[in-house]
Amino acid sequence: MSSSLPLRLRRAAHAPWLLLVALLMFASNSAHAIPAYARQTGSACADCHAGAYGPALTPYGMRFKLNGYTDTDGQGTKIPLAAQITGSRNVPERGESTTQLSEADVYLAGRISDHLGGFVKVVTENIGDDHYNTKLSNLDLRFVAKDLKIAGKETTVGVAINNSPGFDDPIAALPYASSLGPPAVSGTLLNLSSAHTLYNRVIGGSVYALYDNDYYGEIGTYNTMPTSMIDHLGYNPASDPGRLSDTGYFRFAYMKDLKRQFFSAGVVALTTKRQLPRNAPSDDITDLGYDLTYQFLGNREHIVQVSYVNILEQRDYGSTPVVGGIAAKSQGNARDQTLSVTYTFKQSYALQVAHLISTGSQDPVRYPPFGKPDSTANMISLYWTPFGKDDSFTSLANLKIAGTWYRYTRFNGASMNIFGAPVGALITNAKDLDAFTLSASVAF
Amino acid sequence: MSKTRFGRAAHCALMTGLLFYGAGTLPALAGDADAGKDVFKQECSECHSPREGKNKKGPSLFGIVGRNAGSIGDYNYSDALKNAKWVWTEDKLHWYLSQPAKQANPGTKMKYPGLDNAKQLDDLISYLQSNH
Repeated sequence: MSSSLPLRLRRAAHAPWLLLVALLMFASNSAHAIPAYARQTGSACADCHAGAYGPALTPYGMRFKLNGYTDTDGQGTKIPLAAQITGSRNVPERGESTTQLSEADVYLAGRISDHLGGFVKVVTENIGDDHYNTKLSNLDLRFVAKDLKIAGKETTVGVAINNSPGFDDPIAALPYASSLGPPAVSGTLLNLSSAHTLYNRVIGGSVYALYDNDYYGEIGTYNTMPTSMIDHLGYNPASDPGRLSDTGYFRFAYMKDLKRQFFSAGVVALTTKRQLPRNAPSDDITDLGYDLTYQFLGNREHIVQVSYVNILEQRDYGSTPVVGGIAAKSQGNARDQTLSVTYTFKQSYALQVAHLISTGSQDPVRYPPFGKPDSTANMISLYWTPFGKDDSFTSLANLKIAGTWYRYTRFNGASMNIFGAPVGALITNAKDLDAFTLSASVAF
Repeated sequence: MSKTRFGRAAHCALMTGLLFYGAGTLPALAGDADAGKDVFKQECSECHSPREGKNKKGPSLFGIVGRNAGSIGDYNYSDALKNAKWVWTEDKLHWYLSQPAKQANPGTKMKYPGLDNAKQLDDLISYLQSNH
């Protein structure tokens, strides 16, 4: 059975509403401001995040993450708790607008000792009609040994346990760490918007090292949790990522902090055998990707952050279902690309523009109605974060007001009539998936 | 006569230099404090605050020039800096910041590779001198 065929068929039936759910997921890149860390370190939010609100990290924020969230101002133990509340107005191109308290988050985040620290996020989200769902979101627990010397060079070695491969990445450009990935019909395993994503639904560990401040390497493995566990953690069992085996995660990156500027170049790989459904033959899946980032930081008055991620996934399917006399292909691939440019003024006003592309090999059986899984979207976000700087009203809490546009130019490989509706039926074009969201988040 | 006036002037200049040196304010280090504020933001501000009483990963640098090393009461210094027994004069800061911190003060917690741009260093120290 194809790993994603059931979803394709469901999507063909009631696609727009499922897509809106995917869109909201794609919109979730506003989270990750952790005032508990600011209280622990005495640092301002803006020291770790260019716009004083996450998730994009400055080089200093990367080092804090690499050090296992253990850095401190040395002034006693701080309560490692923080919270975030988000209200939003969503205005889709087609469908009803909503205004609601959309999300409340609790973070257990901070150091336990000089060598032990972590990040746990629990989200309560409004799923409509004032119904709420609570789920375990990101998890990142670390043991770290700092200030080691290997061949005379400073080295940091850590062990991380987390629930999304790549979430723990210091550069934070990979989709699970940046919370930014293209809305995908096919999509790679490392894309949080892919069907049956691994994001927050697996558990694994890795060993990582930073050598001579510039060379980062990580090797790890992951496994899926039982579906009952996925259910208990707040996720719909229908989003099961399947049974994984022989899973390996590999990461290497060169990162250079020049104080006024920063750049990095990295490669990432994920290989696994996946059974979806869990009693199906396994698909052999290998993701290979690279990422490039650049930051101009200067005196922090004008900050520009650019990142590009390109991940190619090769698939050897365990089965080739036949639909309408046509057999699905035994091999395929998917590619996810994300280009993001963010300009931040005075660490308070920011404009982010992202171009998101998901493509894949053609397969008329797996990707009805056109046999193409390609999608293209843009995200344009304008936001204001008045606090979280050393000289602001408070450096330990923040508010973020954001206006975000989502613009689709292609879905299911088409711009017009993307679900192949017959003549006389309601036609959905790619631009009908567009949406605007106005949100206000407060973190404390 | 003119030789005498020259001699007096030279003597005054020498004494002024000695006084400046004694006060830890070498004229040779005179930089642009405004430019130094930018250097502070790019080199120091993530770990140090210029505000009085505000410690971050490193101690507050308010009034650093003229302060005894390791002397802020509520900051947890490394033993290396507690035992340093020096005063942060402009001259000392120039020496300390122009090299890796762990070379200048082995055992320090401070991770700083040093600032090798002479003008930026002078500007930075001028800013630190003005911040009190």
